[in-house]
Formats: sequence, C-alpha cells, structure tokens
Amino acid sequence: MQPANRPPASTGASGEEAAEVAKRRQGMLLASPGSLYLLIFFVVPLALISVYSFATRTSTGRTSLSGWNVESYRAIGDDVIVGIIGRSAWLATLTTALCLAVGYPFAYYIATRPRHLRAVLLVLVMIPFWTNGLVRVFAIRFLLGSNGPASALSESMGFGTFRILFTPTAVTIGMVYSFLTLMVLPLYVALERMDWSLTEAARDLYASGSKAFWKVTLPLTKSGIVAGSVLVFVPSFGSYVVPDILGGAKTLLVGSYIARQFRDARNYPLGAALSVLLIVAMLVAVALNQRSGSGADSGDRPRRRGRGRAHAEPEPVAAP
Amino acid sequence: MTEAVAAVEIDGVTKRFGDVVAVDNVDLAIDDGEFFALLGPSGCGKTTTLRMIAGLDLPTTGSLRIFGEEVGMAPPDRRPVNTVFQAYALFPHMSVRQNIEFGLRMRRVKGPELSQRVAEAIAMVRLAGMEDRRPDQLSGGQQQRVALARALVNQPKVLLLDEPLGALDLKLRQEMQQELKALQRTVGITFVFVTHDQEEALAMSERIGVMSEGRLLQVGTPREIYETPASRFVADFIGRTNLLEASVESAGAVRLANGARIEAETSMAAGSEVAVSLRPERARLQPRGAASAEGSSLDGDVRDITYLGHAVVYEVAVGPMSVEVRSEGEVGQPFAVGDEVTVNWDRGAAAVVAD
Repeated sequence: MQPANRPPASTGASGEEAAEVAKRRQGMLLASPGSLYLLIFFVVPLALISVYSFATRTSTGRTSLSGWNVESYRAIGDDVIVGIIGRSAWLATLTTALCLAVGYPFAYYIATRPRHLRAVLLVLVMIPFWTNGLVRVFAIRFLLGSNGPASALSESMGFGTFRILFTPTAVTIGMVYSFLTLMVLPLYVALERMDWSLTEAARDLYASGSKAFWKVTLPLTKSGIVAGSVLVFVPSFGSYVVPDILGGAKTLLVGSYIARQFRDARNYPLGAALSVLLIVAMLVAVALNQRSGSGADSGDRPRRRGRGRAHAEPEPVAAP
Repeated sequence: MTEAVAAVEIDGVTKRFGDVVAVDNVDLAIDDGEFFALLGPSGCGKTTTLRMIAGLDLPTTGSLRIFGEEVGMAPPDRRPVNTVFQAYALFPHMSVRQNIEFGLRMRRVKGPELSQRVAEAIAMVRLAGMEDRRPDQLSGGQQQRVALARALVNQPKVLLLDEPLGALDLKLRQEMQQELKALQRTVGITFVFVTHDQEEALAMSERIGVMSEGRLLQVGTPREIYETPASRFVADFIGRTNLLEASVESAGAVRLANGARIEAETSMAAGSEVAVSLRPERARLQPRGAASAEGSSLDGDVRDITYLGHAVVYEVAVGPMSVEVRSEGEVGQPFAVGDEVTVNWDRGAAAVVAD
C-alpha cells in the first residue's frame, strides 16, 4: 500500500511516477535472460516445426519448402496413426490414474509426519527423480526381464517365468515409476497446506473418518490432484524413452512414432504435424485444468494476484 | 430420573503427549444447562480437556461421561456434542448453507426437516440472506455465527467452544459475549467454553474452572473465584491483585513479612506460610494519621501515580513491599508522589491464599 497523501506535495506525483518506471525497468532486466533463452531455444524451434508441418516430402525423402499444403495433417487421420494416438492417450490416462492411486496415500503419509521427518521423506522421493532417467529405465528393464529378479521370484514361488517386458504392462510400470515424483510433489504441497482442523470439524459433525476424507480433504486438495495429473499426463502422452526401451515394437506410441518420422522414415512434415497436434492438445488440456484449478470451486485459500496496490484484496463484508 | 445427572463428568482424567502431561488427573462435573468456562494461560491443558470431551483427543487414563454415558474412548462422530472451533474451521469449499447442513446430512436428515432446521439455525444467528455466500466472503463476526449455527443445528447435548471470541476485535468481542449468553439461555443446553481471558470468563460464565500446568486448581462461581481464590496462582491470574507474603498467626490474623499484623479469616494452621491477596480496588488511600480504626491498614509512601481516566492507580511503597491501590471516582488530586499515606481496607476485603 502506498500512502494516499504524502505530506510534501512538491515531490509527490512525479516522484511516484519515476519510482514506478524504475521498478518496471528493473523487472524487464530481471526477466530478460530467461526470456531470451526461451525465445532462442523454444519459440524459434517451435516455429520451425510449425513451418515444416505444412511442407511437402519429396519422393527421395527430402523436405521441400515450397508448395505449402495440409497433406501431413490429413495423413494423421490414417487408421494406423489414430490407433497409435489412441493407445498413447490410453496409456497416459492409465499412468496418471495409477500415479494418483499410488501417490495420494504416499503424499498424505508424508504430509502428516512431524516436520523434521517430512524433509527427509521428501528428499527420498526426490532421489530417483534426480537420477538419470535412462539409467532408471534400463534398471527396470533388467528387473522385469525374463532373466531378472522379478521373474526368478515368480518362478521360485511356482508361478512360472514371467514375460512382461516389451508389453504395454511393462511400459505402464516404467512410466508410473518415471513420473510418480511429478504426482507426489504437488499433492504433497496441497496436503501440507491442508488445515486439519477442518477434518476435525467434519468428524465433530458426525462424519466418519472416510466421509471426512471424501467430503473435506479430497475437495480441498483438488488443486494438487489437478496439477499432479497434468504434470504426469502431459509427459506420459508424448513419452518416447520409456516405451522405446520397455515397449518393443508392439507398443508403438506417438512419441516413438514421431521420432521414427524424423529419423528412419525421413518424413519431416508428418513428424512435424504430429508434434504440432500434440502441443496443441497439451495446451488445451493445461488451459482447461488451469481454469478449473483457479475457479471458485477449488477451495483454495484466496490467491494473491500480483503485488501491491493494483489488486487490493477484497475487504471482508462489514459486520452489521 | 430422580437425581440430576451431570452433563459432563470427568473422572481422574490424565492426558499425556509423549513425556508431556497435558492434563493431570482432573475431576470435574459440569451441570446440565450450565455456562461453564475453562480458564487458564496457554498451555495449561484447557483446550486438551475440551478436545477430550469432543473426542478429538482421547484420555490416557480416566473416565469421561456425557449425561451418564461413558464416552471416553468413543470417536467424535459418536458423541452428542458439537464444537465451535477456535478459528471456526468453516469448510471453505462450501456455502454457508452447506456448512450448516453438514452435520444433519451426515446423520441422514433429509427433505423438509433438513431445510426447516437449517432455516431455524440461520434465523437464530441472524444470517438470513447470507446462505449462499462462501466463508471467505463473510466478516469475522459472521463467520463466528456460522460456526455457532453449524454446531447448534444438530441440537447437541453439550456445546463446546474453543476460544470462540479470540479472533474478534474488542468491540465485537463484547457484543458477542452478550449474544452468546443470550443464545445459551434461549437454547438451554450446556455450554463449555475455553478462554485465556479472565474478564471474558467472569463476564460470561456461571461457573469457572481455573487450570494451570494440567491441573484444575479451583472450580467456582465468578464471585467465589475472584473474592476467595484458593491459591496464589488463581488470585494472581484472575484480575489484578497485591500478594503480600505472610504467615498465619491465628484463625483470625496473619502477620505480614514486615511485621504488621492483619485481621483475616483463614482455616490454615498457625505458622503456615501464606500470601494475603488484596485487590487494588478494595484498598483505600488516606493521608497518614487520618485513617479510620476500622479494618486493616499499612503505612507507606506514594511512589508512583498512573492516571487512567476512569481511575487512578497509586503505587505505594510499604517498607520493601509495593502495594497497588486503585481509586475510582476521585475528585481533584488528593495525593502526590512522595506523600505519606495509609493503605486501608475493610475486614474481609483481603483473602488469605495458600502458596
């Protein structure tokens, strides 16, 4: 808040304006390295991809940058490609649901520990996330392989050897493992902010423990559920490394298919068109979630929009 | 039922959190229809006691009955009590109406009965027209009334209030004190409320239980607690007082540390170390020599004067001791710093308290 009336009127208005300009200049200075980086390494390649998606593939596999058309987009309607996209969407949904089912109780457990324990548990959650992703996926491949420990265990218990490597199951296991942290962290943040006197109030008002959870805790942690789901769904949908290593040829997903267009098939326009489609789909998903996340129903504490006087928080209604 | 059953009966209840004893062997009976205050400084165990009645904490040992029914180990949803929480704990994702309906819906009250009871509760706390607002769109006082309605709509046998007025500013707090008292008379159910504000406890409750360090030190009416405190802690915690070190001489007299003999009733054995509690407003200041022979008196010098508008507070040095005298309705400036004076009080105005 700025004082409404500054006593020395002579330095008043112009002084404030100058301070405002200086503040704006400082803001631009702070944001410029990041903006520049994103411009060069994100916006420019993205623009190139968009341009390529309207180009033509010549019979020799070259990309001709003349004769713009939407052939590549039309090709996406092909049954094979629709099947791949459908399978990717299904696996991403399954991965998100499993991450939520595993991650929520986990985040709940961490968030309800004493403060000093929480920090330790959170670091333990982060460790796999900090480990090289490729190493982790190969570790899973070893674990699930027909000569691996999981198979040996199953055999020793009399269930026979087990063949799940190079199946959608293996891909799902690998993706849940890879993206679980992305689900747990936002859930933890939401649960950690949870005011537990509210569940006590629910218990006091005759709700059983589970009723209190469904009626109070779950709705009040919706923002974490939404954020975690977006963070898991988006990379699982376009995932390339995990299905490539654990999925084999039968589990072709859209990420691998795009990579194949750029590498083996040399069909840049089709790869680019699929990429653009993925990006647009993600943006729509994020936008939808953003809206539901910040709506009146989210139950979050009122968010601070911006700082300073431009968005003063609404005053509570005066008591009669 | 021929004999009145206590609304809440706490029998030898102790609560430990790890090594910490939060509530230490408390016995307490709260009558049906009573407005009862649990009073004490923060950390004295009053909130834990309330939470044990609500079922939000379970006693380590002891028994707890509500209208004769043992509930010590019952979960909160199986007890005929409701709570008004300290920061109200209104559900932020629900409207005022949904908040108030919550308890009834959990007990499967439906249709016309539900809407009628909710409407009555809303009318009772004067929140008509606010039904569809969210808690964050209400002022503190309005939120407090929603919390009250949300609890009372269930017609609990006992209403528990945890520092119900703590979050309100002074003026609103005084208004709500009156409103709560009136509300309790209207609904006629037992109110048990926790507060650290001794003035609030005195003003609102029929009986007060004073707690310190997990123990229940004294239970009595506001007048009993204020005028005949059972211990030095109670005398000091409730209102302002002068605690003068003394030892018992006989059943009707004690001798102060400075040798002065004072008339005061006590049942303690001769020779016991005690303190005399003299309320500042019960003492009078008179010029030295003009003191009446009535009651007890101490000679001293005025050391400091604080003008409060409605009262003047004198600090009088009596030997090594300091005695505070509060004078109201004084005309002019009868005393100045350095004046030789006599502090005088009526027989029975000072209480002898144990250490």
